Amino acid sequence: MASRESSGAPVEVRLKELRPNGIPVEFVARVVSLQQREVTRKSDGSRRPLLSGLLSDGTATVRFTWWDPPREGVERGLVLRASGAEVREFRGRPELTFTWRTRVGPASPAELPRVDAEEVPIRPLRELAAGDEGFRVEVRVAKVAPRPVTVGEERRVVHEGIVADASGLLRLTSWSDFGLAPGEAVRISGAYVRSFRGRLELVLDERAIVARIDGAGLPDPGALLGAPPRSIAAVEDEGGGPVVTVEGIVVGLLPPSGLVYRCPECRRSVKSGICRIHGQVEGQPDLRARIVLDDGTGALTVNTDRAATERLWGVTLEECRARLRDQPDPGLLEEQLLEALFGRRLRVRGSGTKDDFGVTVVPESIERVDVDLDAAADELSARLGGGS
Amino acid sequence: MALREPAWRVSARELETSLEEERGSGERAAGYVLSPFGARMNRVLVAGTLSPAEAIGRDEAQTFWRARLSDPTGVVAVTAGSFQPRAMAQLRAVHSPRPALVVGKVHLYRGRDGVGYVSIRAEGARALSENEERALLADVVRQTLDRLDLVERIEKGASLPEEERRRDGIPSAWVRAARDALQRYPNVDRPAFRRDLRAVLRRVAGDLGPPAAPGSPPTVTIVRAPPPKAPAPAPSAEERAEESVFLDLLDEVAEVSVDGYADLKEVLTRVASRGLVSERAETVLNRLEEEGVIEEPIVGKLRRAT
Repeated sequence: MASRESSGAPVEVRLKELRPNGIPVEFVARVVSLQQREVTRKSDGSRRPLLSGLLSDGTATVRFTWWDPPREGVERGLVLRASGAEVREFRGRPELTFTWRTRVGPASPAELPRVDAEEVPIRPLRELAAGDEGFRVEVRVAKVAPRPVTVGEERRVVHEGIVADASGLLRLTSWSDFGLAPGEAVRISGAYVRSFRGRLELVLDERAIVARIDGAGLPDPGALLGAPPRSIAAVEDEGGGPVVTVEGIVVGLLPPSGLVYRCPECRRSVKSGICRIHGQVEGQPDLRARIVLDDGTGALTVNTDRAATERLWGVTLEECRARLRDQPDPGLLEEQLLEALFGRRLRVRGSGTKDDFGVTVVPESIERVDVDLDAAADELSARLGGGS
Repeated sequence: MALREPAWRVSARELETSLEEERGSGERAAGYVLSPFGARMNRVLVAGTLSPAEAIGRDEAQTFWRARLSDPTGVVAVTAGSFQPRAMAQLRAVHSPRPALVVGKVHLYRGRDGVGYVSIRAEGARALSENEERALLADVVRQTLDRLDLVERIEKGASLPEEERRRDGIPSAWVRAARDALQRYPNVDRPAFRRDLRAVLRRVAGDLGPPAAPGSPPTVTIVRAPPPKAPAPAPSAEERAEESVFLDLLDEVAEVSVDGYADLKEVLTRVASRGLVSERAETVLNRLEEEGVIEEPIVGKLRRAT
């Protein structure tokens, strides 16, 4: 790595200030992601190593390319100081290139720019997209609960929930315990947005900052979760969402519904005693239903687990297995389940995701509905006019 | 990928007055029956009084069952055959008229006299409590009124851009259906139909009243201007050859069938294997029916006209 006299002294900047104006820059940033590869030189066919990835200093995240990186390698998470890096533009966004003229060395996390929270914009939840960071949100915690998870070998607790502002709702996943409680209003900075299994979530790690606020103007948590049902067509238009409430009639079941067998390791369903990850396993019996719910404007699938299926059906897993011993035909059980559910009116609240087959809801609550017939008659009578 | 077709909440009267359809083209395409009141139906959910089913066809093993479902506005035929074993069992389980719901596919059969008959091929049926029936009829009235309002809004010139449609919670399929209704049924008596809905509303409010007399003639008058039919040119030699292939296959299928009828699907499958594409086969079928060579006394069952 070489001198810097030719272009004059680089200017120390923060990543959000990068401009592709030909002036080399100096900055401190953390390596967020990286990958190493080699390119073949056209001139002599020799191979030249190249690192590329993302750098972040808390004000922005920027792609970088590092020609001839150090042989000993670079680790993700490293905080580095680079002097004399070039700023280029690609598809309207600045990128950094480390050349033979750039001096790169390790730096302390304390050298990262102090991000004054006031500089980061407050954004409505509805506008957030996967990959966004460098924003603040002011939200109401609609619900939150800890859940133990295993990440590789490590056991951790993740706090999952839903946050809301006037623009909408978003799932929340926090890898640190910020002591979040349902109903409280908070300002969150340093979080980012990712797409996980087809749905967006706001992710908080140890770098996130949570401050309590008074929350005037934020929606009431009870109203958020107790919202009246919406038409299935509208839910389809919106592609699902973290809290979807619909009401409809059960018009069918999709396979597999009824008694299923699951891998004891991963809970995936087992076909002919074979799990597609763990091979030959002793499948464990379980109950589930994939209910087709239709409200006249559209239809969606509601996936119920054992507890909900038992409650809706009124038949337990043990009773199912007993029936199967008497009548060894699993298809018959599915028929009986359909017979019990077909034509029932259900109200379902849960998270909804959409794919090529439509919207699927994983319910948090599912209940039978009794319609208020007098109210319905009054409402319709007013609309029809003319009395009877 | 096609989404599942929703079950439109409609009254028997709306089905009785539906005379237009949209045939699906291509493989596994859905067909639709278009109503004058803004429904574009592949599947429906109807509620009312279901009568005991009667068997059609001669052989006990291959029967086809037909029942009638009546609501305060009219009557619609509900069928089930051996391809819908569950629905067939449910229809057969009805021994005396009782409140029920039926979910199924809508079929429009046009007889030789040009009169259309709508029937529902049941996918499932279930007996209802009185309150369940009233709640479903309330859904029928509410959604029918929503559709009528939409048809009238579009008739008055509303263009309904996407944003406005979503704000007002109108399903996109309904906008299309409303436009189709206005185009296909330019002269339809919507006020009369709204009056018919009052009978349903009385049932919702708990007035059981006398059950609708099965087969009561519709009072909605639909003044349709059918496109003038050009006199059909005599079929060419090639078309005659297609007809003869079709008839041969029909005879083949009928010969081995237990009830003496040729199953339409079976015939079409065999015709396709002889290289006659489905659209051509439909044309040939329609021509043969119009000429009175074959008839379809039961939906989906063909025989040579006697």
